[in-house]
Amino acid sequence: MAAYMSMGEAHRRINEYLNRFSDAVSYQDGKSLSRLLSISSDSATLLSLADALNTFQSCYSGILTVVLCKHVMLFIYVEIFICFADANRVISQSDKYSQYGDILVPIFRAVRSYRLRNLVESYLAFEKASNAFIQEFRNWDSAWALEALYVVAYEIRILAERADVELASIGKNPEKLKGAGSFLMKVFGVLAGKGPKRVGALYVTCQLFKIYFKLGTVHLCRSVIRSIETARIFDFEEFPVRDKVTYMYYTGRLEVYNENFPAADHKLSYALTHCTERKEANIRMILKYLIPVKLSIGILPKTSLLEKYNLNEYSDVILALKRGDLRLLRHALNEHEDRFLRSGVYLVLEKLELQVYQRLVKKIYIIQKLKDPNKAHQIKLDVIVKALQWLEMDMDVDEVECIMSILIYKNLVKGYFAHKSKVAVLSKQDPFPKLNGKPVNS
Amino acid sequence: MSLLHSSERPFEVVHDFLFDRTRSIRQDLSMQNVTGDQVIHMYERMVKFHIISHHHLHRSCGTPNIASISHLNMEQLMKALTTLFNLYEVNRASNSTYKNEAEFRSFYLLLLMGSNNQGESLSLWLKRVPSVIMKSKEICFARRILRYFRLGNYKRFIHTTEDEASFLQYCIIEPYINEVRMLALSYVSYGGYKLQPYPLVRLSTLLMMKESDTESLCVDCGFEISTDDGSEKGLVSTKQSVICKPTKGVQKYYPLVSAKIERLSAELSELL
Repeated sequence: MAAYMSMGEAHRRINEYLNRFSDAVSYQDGKSLSRLLSISSDSATLLSLADALNTFQSCYSGILTVVLCKHVMLFIYVEIFICFADANRVISQSDKYSQYGDILVPIFRAVRSYRLRNLVESYLAFEKASNAFIQEFRNWDSAWALEALYVVAYEIRILAERADVELASIGKNPEKLKGAGSFLMKVFGVLAGKGPKRVGALYVTCQLFKIYFKLGTVHLCRSVIRSIETARIFDFEEFPVRDKVTYMYYTGRLEVYNENFPAADHKLSYALTHCTERKEANIRMILKYLIPVKLSIGILPKTSLLEKYNLNEYSDVILALKRGDLRLLRHALNEHEDRFLRSGVYLVLEKLELQVYQRLVKKIYIIQKLKDPNKAHQIKLDVIVKALQWLEMDMDVDEVECIMSILIYKNLVKGYFAHKSKVAVLSKQDPFPKLNGKPVNS
Repeated sequence: MSLLHSSERPFEVVHDFLFDRTRSIRQDLSMQNVTGDQVIHMYERMVKFHIISHHHLHRSCGTPNIASISHLNMEQLMKALTTLFNLYEVNRASNSTYKNEAEFRSFYLLLLMGSNNQGESLSLWLKRVPSVIMKSKEICFARRILRYFRLGNYKRFIHTTEDEASFLQYCIIEPYINEVRMLALSYVSYGGYKLQPYPLVRLSTLLMMKESDTESLCVDCGFEISTDDGSEKGLVSTKQSVICKPTKGVQKYYPLVSAKIERLSAELSELL
């Protein structure tokens, strides 16, 4: 807890905050306003405000105890007088501040509660303040307060997440984040207009994405995406780069879930190229999804890239693709199963099996070509069975024939198989077509 | 539950009656916010009911009415399963591990075969499954089946199902077996040697069908059958790469040739 603070000092700090707030609004200083609202940042300003508010409050309750004890001490009289002018009255008794009372009163409560780690209380108060803020924001001309709005959007998500953790820990239903989502949809509606405020819509969209991904209600992203991409008021190029990168990252991830690889490649690559070099953590996040996509369209990243961004969980997968080593692929998937499942790329990686088979058959072909170029294009299915056995993979001729038929159908191998003689006959020209940036045919 | 097997009334009527009853029970239970072993047991039985209904409805693919009943049934099945999983989680504090949990979790996985965004559903869902369950034989089986389905490995899909599926798991997988068979015909026809039609006998064993059924399916899908040497019938290869849907609107049902599955089917009443 804070060191002892006198009532005078507490009063001074509260007034200072209120002054800064009203100045920020009068001078349309978005940056200053945003600093006053970032509750979770634990900034010096807000910490000192919180302590001041708590001093007021504890003095108030302290007085009651004293009165009850019937010990009246003279030197307390002055303190009592100031105490009864509690923080809310400071706001309401001044014209300068009272017009923003609907924002300030709950903000004070949110700041206090956050300091005391009452996260649900803090969220509820902040939500109330945010609703009032939006009402004012609507009336302000120009987009001067966008930065403050961004902070409000960010804080509402963060505070909701923390409130939900608190709720879950006491066995209650964690539904604050969901509520934050509804609030942000409202904010989106406020920004979706013709004026200059509309460039803020993408930031709010990204906050919504983060909420939906966290809650697992990813399908709700669709309606926001539709608004951004089809509404005529929005021009994607007008949005700030930072927001475009985040947007492409999340929509790219959605494409990965849907296994729509060309689109995923396009979006995640956009995010990668437009992301500043020094934001290594962000680049790593993008690559985590881009690599499986690239692998699925036949493009293998260099080892140096994996090492630079600490993505070594993919090394064995890539090695398996290069070698045609099915056992290694299965092993790699097994070893990092939790990680791949959590990020949602497991199924994408599993499907790489077909390309691994292609590579294996190609290797057999190359070896045969060295021995006897004229007969190389005929591969006995038994030879493939043996090669797989050597890799400790137990497959019979029927299954090998099945796999060959899949490879041929999906154009990973050109040729045909003769069932009676149990031979795969490869085309003499380009028997193993490269994917060249296209996904495997379905 | 024995009502389901009385052959006096038509299946739809019985299903309807039980459907309403189970739905009301579930609504009551959720309103009362009850949890506990008994509730779990009740939900497990309700899920079984829906799975078996699903199985019957799929086999009686005739009237258009069936399609809507089937859809509603599937909806309720998913709801019941989801609630059941929440119950497992809530009750996990007490030391019991539910002996059926692994199997019921595997049902959800198998049901994902039909969905469009498997990646998202799967990864979100698997996050919440305890690792003990993840290592269980039922979950491993379901994941393998899902993999075979996605890769198009018709041989393993059909044979592993026959070999390892429990009856309820089989009920869920069955509708996909025909889909995989049609895929197999396409692959074999596309990649086969055009001078040697693929013997139907062989194909039937591979796809676990009666030879006459195999022939029907080929014809339904628009493939050509040839008679080789006057006796052996074969699937003619063409570079026709499109999988054709059967000419009739609704898929015909072709049973799996398996003594084991037949036996399990007959033992159905024991399960409930």
